Amino acid sequence: MMGSVAESPAAAAIVAPKAADDVVVEAVDVHKWFGASKVLDGVSLSVRRGETVVIIGPSGSGKTTFVRCLNHLETIQQGVIRVNGHFIGYRLRNGKMVPDRPRNIARQRRDVGMVFQRFNLFAHMTALENIIEAPIRVRRIARDEAAATARALLSRVGLGGRENAYPAQLSGGQQQRVAIARALAMRPAVMLFDEPTSALDPEMVGEVLAVIRELAQDGMTMIVVTHEMDFAREVADRVVVMDKGAIIDSGTPHHVFVDSRHPRLRAFLAKTRFQAAS
Amino acid sequence: MSFDWSFFWHYLLEPSSVYLNGLLLTVVLSVVSQLFGTALGLAAALARLATFRPLHMAARFYIWVMRGTPLLVQIVFIYTGLAAANILRFHDVHLGFLLIAGNVQAGILALSLNEGAYMAEIIRAGIASVDHGQAEAASSLGMTRGLLMRRIVLPQALRLIIPPLGNQFNIMLKNSTLVSIIGVPELLLITESINSATFRTFELYTVVGLYFLTLTTLWGLAQRGIEARFAAPSPAGAGAVAGRPRRFALRNLINAGSP
Repeated sequence: MMGSVAESPAAAAIVAPKAADDVVVEAVDVHKWFGASKVLDGVSLSVRRGETVVIIGPSGSGKTTFVRCLNHLETIQQGVIRVNGHFIGYRLRNGKMVPDRPRNIARQRRDVGMVFQRFNLFAHMTALENIIEAPIRVRRIARDEAAATARALLSRVGLGGRENAYPAQLSGGQQQRVAIARALAMRPAVMLFDEPTSALDPEMVGEVLAVIRELAQDGMTMIVVTHEMDFAREVADRVVVMDKGAIIDSGTPHHVFVDSRHPRLRAFLAKTRFQAAS
Repeated sequence: MSFDWSFFWHYLLEPSSVYLNGLLLTVVLSVVSQLFGTALGLAAALARLATFRPLHMAARFYIWVMRGTPLLVQIVFIYTGLAAANILRFHDVHLGFLLIAGNVQAGILALSLNEGAYMAEIIRAGIASVDHGQAEAASSLGMTRGLLMRRIVLPQALRLIIPPLGNQFNIMLKNSTLVSIIGVPELLLITESINSATFRTFELYTVVGLYFLTLTTLWGLAQRGIEARFAAPSPAGAGAVAGRPRRFALRNLINAGSP
């Protein structure tokens, strides 16, 4: 099933020329199956430096899976993904894409920050330890320096002074903000957010979105999967709409939320508005 | 029934140096075999979790054989069986002041191999109990599999591993008597040799029983202390986050020696 680039003309085109310098993430014709069911059906997306791309779409549309492919938490069966100019998860050998070595994959993931729906903080470590762990062990940064950076990040996400709290002692919103700080501490080229507010109580959604909004304003390159339509409309440079494993429309928030006449998009938006109103 | 009380008290309270040496050997055999067995169990558990199929199958085979055959059979097979087939003979090893007899080596090997299989399953369960999301988060931060096992998964798995580990050592203390079959002069063999000279079986086996009861009781107390520092108060069941004081203890242990 592990197809080659050669089978996909669009992907083959991208293998040769190096991506433009200001393109941080480039996915071309990505296909993925879970067993017999196809979850990604030729997804292509390219994200420029400093851009905030928000992916919306109904549940099961493949948006989470797609974002997880971008740092190779999921394998792909066809297509090409490049982050920062490097293939991720695969390397080219004799014109074919073959699975990369675990060590190389780990190295490439350093540059891709990921924030999960369920935070996934290390339960046996304090907030500070969560943040400095990878910079110290992976980037080989001195502990003092890592701790100073971590404290700065904690105050940036509004948690200065909570550095000694364990995840269990923090609210969901606070945990998610620590998780964002943890990802930022690696100084990633791009941040991926996989439904960062879906597991939160409603009153905590705002504090997490505020942090993400600020990152967008600071020029961080981001891909955000979310169900928060107001947030998408406000923060996105570009909104991407996925349905049934494919991108069905994309463009400015105005285009997607106002102008587009795409029937499935309109149906989806009508449904979310109904839910928001009820 | 005749119970020779003075004989009983004498052997219970004034054990000969031979008897005490047997006791010491029992403790040493148990501790060393438990250490090797735990290390072996960790290796086998990681091998079982490996995606490389031959490694996975080898670990399963090892666990299957060791858990499926009697320990007594394994002991005789390793010491007497292998020698009889001219495959492997255990020779005494001199380490300066210390002499390790061949049968002691064989006994430790058998006990360790057997223990490793049980520890493998215990450690595997501990690893499986750690929320997979944390491993994913560690991967996404660029941590390699080895690093995330060592720093993220195993420290948290430890709190599920410790209670059954204590239980295993209790069993180990008693199972170590089985190596008497290959002539290792541990507590039971010493008892048996005194028995063959005195025929005071009732008294002697009461004494040896009490000695083992003392060993396991002492260990039980130690175990309670260790578990109090490691085990979760678990308000929210398995997978719940460990409480605070314990975590410090756990971290100190894990971090000991590393900068």
